Parts: sequence; structure tokens; C-alpha cells
Amino acid sequence: MSANLDVAAANAPGSNLGIAIRRGLTDGAGVVAILYIILFALYALWDPSALTVSGVTNLSNNAAPLAIAAAGESLVVISKGFDLSVAGIVSLSNVLMATYPVEGPGGALVSLMICLGVGGAIGALNGLLVAVLRLQSIAATLGTMIMGQGLALVIMDAPGGTIADWVSYTLTDVLFGIIPISGLIMLAVVALWLVFRRTDTCMGIFAVGADETAASLSGISVVRARFTAFVGAGLLYGLAGFMLSVQTATGNPSAGTPFLMLAFAAVALGGVSLTGGRGSLVGAVIGAATLMLLQKVLFSGGVSSFYTGIFQGAVMVLAIVFGSVISRLASTGARA
Amino acid sequence: MSGAVCALDVRSVSKSYGATVALQDVSIELQAGEVHALLGENGAGKSTLVKILSGVVKPNVGTMQIGGERYEPSAIVDARRRGVATAFQELSLVPNLTVAQNLSLPRQAKGRFGLVSGAATQKQGAAILNRFGLRLSPSAIVAGLTLAERQRLEITRAFACNPKVLILDEPTAALAETDWLFGLVRQATAAGASVLYISHRLAEVRELCQRATVLRNGRSIGTVGLEDATDHAIFEMMVGRSQAEEMQRRAATGQSTRPAVLEAEGLAGGSLKDISLTLREGEILGVAGLEGQGQRALFRALVGLAPLASGSVKVDGAAVRLSGPDVALRTGRAIAFLPEERKTEGIFPALATATNIVLPVVGRIGRAGLVSERLERDAVAGSSSEVDLSPRYLDFRVGDLSGGNQQKAMLARAMQTGAKILLLYDPTRGVDVGTKQSIYAAIRRFAESGGAVLLYSSELPELVHLADRCLVVYGGRIFAQLSGADINERTMVAALTGHSIRDTAA
Repeated sequence: MSANLDVAAANAPGSNLGIAIRRGLTDGAGVVAILYIILFALYALWDPSALTVSGVTNLSNNAAPLAIAAAGESLVVISKGFDLSVAGIVSLSNVLMATYPVEGPGGALVSLMICLGVGGAIGALNGLLVAVLRLQSIAATLGTMIMGQGLALVIMDAPGGTIADWVSYTLTDVLFGIIPISGLIMLAVVALWLVFRRTDTCMGIFAVGADETAASLSGISVVRARFTAFVGAGLLYGLAGFMLSVQTATGNPSAGTPFLMLAFAAVALGGVSLTGGRGSLVGAVIGAATLMLLQKVLFSGGVSSFYTGIFQGAVMVLAIVFGSVISRLASTGARA
Repeated sequence: MSGAVCALDVRSVSKSYGATVALQDVSIELQAGEVHALLGENGAGKSTLVKILSGVVKPNVGTMQIGGERYEPSAIVDARRRGVATAFQELSLVPNLTVAQNLSLPRQAKGRFGLVSGAATQKQGAAILNRFGLRLSPSAIVAGLTLAERQRLEITRAFACNPKVLILDEPTAALAETDWLFGLVRQATAAGASVLYISHRLAEVRELCQRATVLRNGRSIGTVGLEDATDHAIFEMMVGRSQAEEMQRRAATGQSTRPAVLEAEGLAGGSLKDISLTLREGEILGVAGLEGQGQRALFRALVGLAPLASGSVKVDGAAVRLSGPDVALRTGRAIAFLPEERKTEGIFPALATATNIVLPVVGRIGRAGLVSERLERDAVAGSSSEVDLSPRYLDFRVGDLSGGNQQKAMLARAMQTGAKILLLYDPTRGVDVGTKQSIYAAIRRFAESGGAVLLYSSELPELVHLADRCLVVYGGRIFAQLSGADINERTMVAALTGHSIRDTAA
């Protein structure tokens, strides 16, 4: 017996870099990042203005709303849920900003707080319904999405209104003549994620997404993990609505509708498993940026905008196929 | 053993879910340093008691004390704080996390700024693995581990909490050897911990435990000192009737002249190095092996679930290429496979038991392509009585059945296909004594009626009991072929560890 215990465990942890690379690729974030670089090269080839500060700023401004919304969606998807309320929250934030514009930097802060407040509140409601009352996430968030859109229509029944000038000019601008502010905001979201990744709550979200029973028997609070995911998602949708308003400078009660499908597309493209427990917020952000870049590439390549959807769908399917092939190769490699 | 305050004292605990009474008036006492067995058939209430002790569910009535103080755990972490840790039967490891991360759930080791540190978690995990003699990489993802490795990790995680009361629910279900576990248990009890040990293997229980409490139909029937109680007496307490059938060899019936139905030649690939076998009509061919010797790959290869690098398979004398279980079911006299993990590879928990049984042949029981519920019931009647599955379970969701009844349903499904060749992979894993007898009887009847069975079991007495011939696999090869009187535990144990029979037989 003692011989059995004395055996020093053969704990040779594989090289950390190798693991990081394999994780990056199997996470899907690696695959979509490579795709983004290829597309950007194509874009720069067809349209040299892409490499100018204004070209990059344009791309960044364009991508920010969807990227931040997809970031929020990825939180819920990792916890093995679906959150449709993104469409409601984005619309609601947008019409609130267009109906009650507040000027100046202080006004921007007030508007941001209102957007985050709305998003956080609806997120908390989702969390209450799904995490605490254990309703199915699609059904519950479908309800809150419709509520959000309905509320947006009550506040503003037709497109109109204006966003405060300070907000729409300053936040679409560049810092020090080179860094787009919208890009900084996306970076801030990613930085927050990288910190959050290193909390027990985030590990709980991954664990619950993979196997709820095992997670709860391991001492993880399933309710807290799910609730946190929904509230975090709601806050990010609020921020996405804010960034969309910055971009469009006007209000539209159905502004959030396209976000519903595109956010899921970005999440899937970014390698986040729709069955939960696998993926990264970074992947979703790059996935969203890729979808928006693709539109530009097709436009600059002279493809009629009618074909955009076909290409977006095809690229998405290809990226997912490629990602799953890679992760299968990696897992058989790890087992052999 | 008396006088001192009990380490754990459970008094008159009851639990019901709606109208279903899971536990009624259950009492059990654990002394410090004691290994106490909890025995009972599947569905006797053992799992419910484990859940109550671990803080997963709360009892309706009754009191619990630890070291003389009230114990009412509000959650599993609360139970751990009070010194109660559990290794669950269904394994509570999170598949997408690493070994080290699982070991430190729910709180990971922290580095700077109170953030989770991967390196510190890894180091902490490696230290735990080392301390308990587990050879696993702390950075390995749990989903990639074998069932036995996961079971060991589950056990290690419970031990790592340094519990005062340790609950081990079927800890050896996936382990082929018990030395490692028993060593840990003895160390822990020597240090004053008490262990509640739940197992269907009475030999193990006798080796490790001093006393046993028996549950039947949710009630505690009594506590006995194991030294004074015969197997027969214990079985009788568990099942309430005399079930203690003697384990005896069935007479060999001269199958060697009957036609071969399944022949494999030089199978290799994955963990298989070189395996050849011949299965004849009316024969039960046993396969024995320590965990990870290639038996799993062998069974999976024979139904096309695992790729083969080389080798050939013949069914009814004709060479075939089996690319999956569906093809296996349509080949020759048909091969049906009963997989290892009924929870993940077998049952569809949300479907009715009857539907689960007819699934492979669902196309045959309909009218005009539509499935008829009445025809389904008629079709199932035969196979369910064959495995002694009570008809009242057929309408229940199979996920709500006890493990033993689920296993009967799985066996019924394999028979329902009409296959004449059954590949049974550990068909009695984690099932109770009564169910085991039903399964043995069903397997024997199947062989007597001209079927052929390839049977792997992690319990040697079962092979001794059932097999006409027995192959011992070791390192991906057939190490020994035993028949007749050579099929006894002593010879098999020697062969299992790669010792030639002649060396030890003397």
C-alpha cells in the first residue's frame, strides 16, 4: 500500500505557452482573429484609405455597438443560456438618449448611467426569472425583450430626436490624433473581462455552463453565477445602446432589432459554444468586428449590398466548421 | 465503541418529495475512527441520505448532530465547513475545468489583487495530487480523463477537505483495484475521521468496515457488526427475502462444437495491441482486466465506435466492416452493445422507460410509419419481463428510475433489438444484489436460447459465476484464456496483473 502512496505523482504540466496557444485556437478566438486579419488585409488592398486614422476610426466606431452587445451575449451563452433582451435594451437606451439629450461631458456621464441603469435593471429581471425562478432563458428573455421594445415605442413612437452634440462628436473622435475613443471603450470592456475571468464567479459561470449539477455539487452557487451573467450582459447591452446612439446621433425605437441575430452570429463566429461552458468574451468581440468588417470589405470589393447576407452567413459557417475541426484535432492530439 | 460522543448522529430523519417518501425514520450513528457501511438495494434511500448529509437537500423531520452539536447544513459548502465531505456516486467534477481547478472549487487560489492565480491553483492542485498519490497532470482537462481517473479525482477532492466525516458513495464503481482507496481510508480513520462507506460489493465492505447500517424502502432496518453477520443475513436485511443464492459455476455445456458467431483476428488500434477471439453460439465469453487494459476499446471496436488500425472481424463466418452500432445491429445475426456509462451513453432520461427500450427498433413497431403507443407497450412486454423489470415502471421517465431499474431497461433494450450477439460492458456496475441476480438470470437464459454473450465485468465473482470461458486482457493483448476449473478468482487475479498462471499456481 505505502508503495502506492509514495509514488511521486508524475505531474509534468505541459508548457504553458503551448497550452495557451492550444486554448486560444480551441477557444475559437484564435480562428476568428486570423480571419479578421485576412479580411483586413483584403480591405486595405481594395481600399487604401482603410489604413488611415479615419479609416480605422470608422471601422472601430462601426464595430463598437455590436461588439459590446456580443460581449454581453457571450456571458449568458457561456453560462448555457440565451438572452434575447439585447434587442429591447439597445432600443430602450437609444430612445432614452434621443428623447432626453444632456449636453457636455457631465451630460454624457448621466446618459451613460441611464443606459447602464436600464440595462442592469432588465438584466437583473432576467436573472431573477432565469436564475432564481428557473424559467427557460429563451422564454423569459423573449418576454423582457418584447417589454423593452414596447417601452421604447411608448417613449418614442417614430424615429427621431437627436443625441447631445457633445456625445456624438466627442465619442466618435480620436484621442491624441490617433486612438479612436470607441476602440478604447471596447478595450476597456475586454480589460474588464480579463479581470473578471480571474474571479471565482467567472469560473462558476463556465462550470455552470458545462454541467450545472456537478457545479452545484462542487459548491458553486448556480444562482449567483447565472444572475451575475445576466446582470453583466444587461449592463453591456446598455453600453452597446449608448455607443449605438453615439454613432447614429438619432433615436429609433427599433434600433436594437438587428442586434438580436447579429449578436448571436458574432458569439458563434467568435467560437463561443452555444451549448455553454466554452468560449471567451474576446472571441465574441472579434466575431462582431469581423461581421462588420466583412460588410466593408464586400462594399469596397464592389459587391452589391444585396449579397452581404449571403457572404456573412457563408463566412460564419466556414469559421465554425474550421474551428470545430481544429478543436477536434487538438483534443485527439491531447489524448494520444 | 460506545460511551463517547458520536462523530455523526442521525436521528429519525425523514424526507419526502410530494407524495413519494424517500426516507422515513432513518437513524444512523458513526463513531470517530469508524468505517461504517451503508447498505441497501437501489432505491432504498441511500442517495437521499447522502444528499441530506452533504447539505444538498434538507430533511423534513429529524435531527442530526456532529460531535454533539446540531448539524443543519444549508448548502454543500456549509457541510464542508462543518467537516463533512462527500465523493458522489454520479461524480461532481466539472468537465471543462482542469484537474487543479476542480480540486480547488468553489474558491481558487488567489494571487495579486485577490484575483485567481492559475499558477497558484496549479501548484496547490499538484500538492494535493502528490499527497494522495494520484498520477494525474494538474493541468489536464477533466473531460479528457477516463472514468476511473475521474472517480479517483472525485475521491481525492473529498479527502482533500480534511473532513471529520467522509461520505464515499460507490467509490469503487469504476475502480478495478481498491488498495489505493483503502489505504487512504485507513489513514484518515487512523487520524480520527469517520467514514460512511456505500458499496454494493460486500467483500469490500467486509474488508474495510466494522459495522453496517441497512436501508430498505427508505427505512433503516438495523445496524449490525459485520464480523457477526453472515452474507446471507445481510442480504436478507437488504432485500427482505432470502436472495442469497450461492455463487456457483454453471456447468460447461460443450459449446466448443457449435458454430462461431463472432470472430476477431489481430485487432489493434488505440489501446488495443493484438486481440483475437472467437465467440460461439450459446456461449458466455468473459473478459477480465484491470482498468485501462484495452477492454473498453475492444468492446467499442467490435461495434465500430472506436477505429481499428488493423485486424478483421467476422460475423457468422463472413468478414464484415462494422462502422457503427447501427451497422452492427444489421449485420449477420445482429450485435447489440450495452455501454459502460448508462447515464451518458445509454438512457434518454426524459423519455418513458418503454420508449427507451424500443428506441433501436422504433421503426418496426409503428403502423404506416407512425409510432403507436399500444404497439410499443406490447413490444416491450416481452423484453421487460425477460429482465425482470416490473411493468409499472414502463410509463415512468427512465431518468426517475433507480440505477438498477435503469440498467434492467438498458439490458431489455439490447434484447429488444433481436440481436443474437450481446456485448455487455460491466452490466451490473453500481446495481444492487437483487438486480444483479435478475441480470445474471437474463444473461444465462439468453445464452441457453442460443444467443452469444461477450461479457466484461469489473467484478471477478461475476465472471466466475457466469462465463464458460474467460479472456484476461493485459496491456491491450489477451494475456490468458481460461476455461473450466481455471476460471477461479485466484488464477484470474494473477493473470490480471500480468503474472503467468504457472508461476502462481504452484
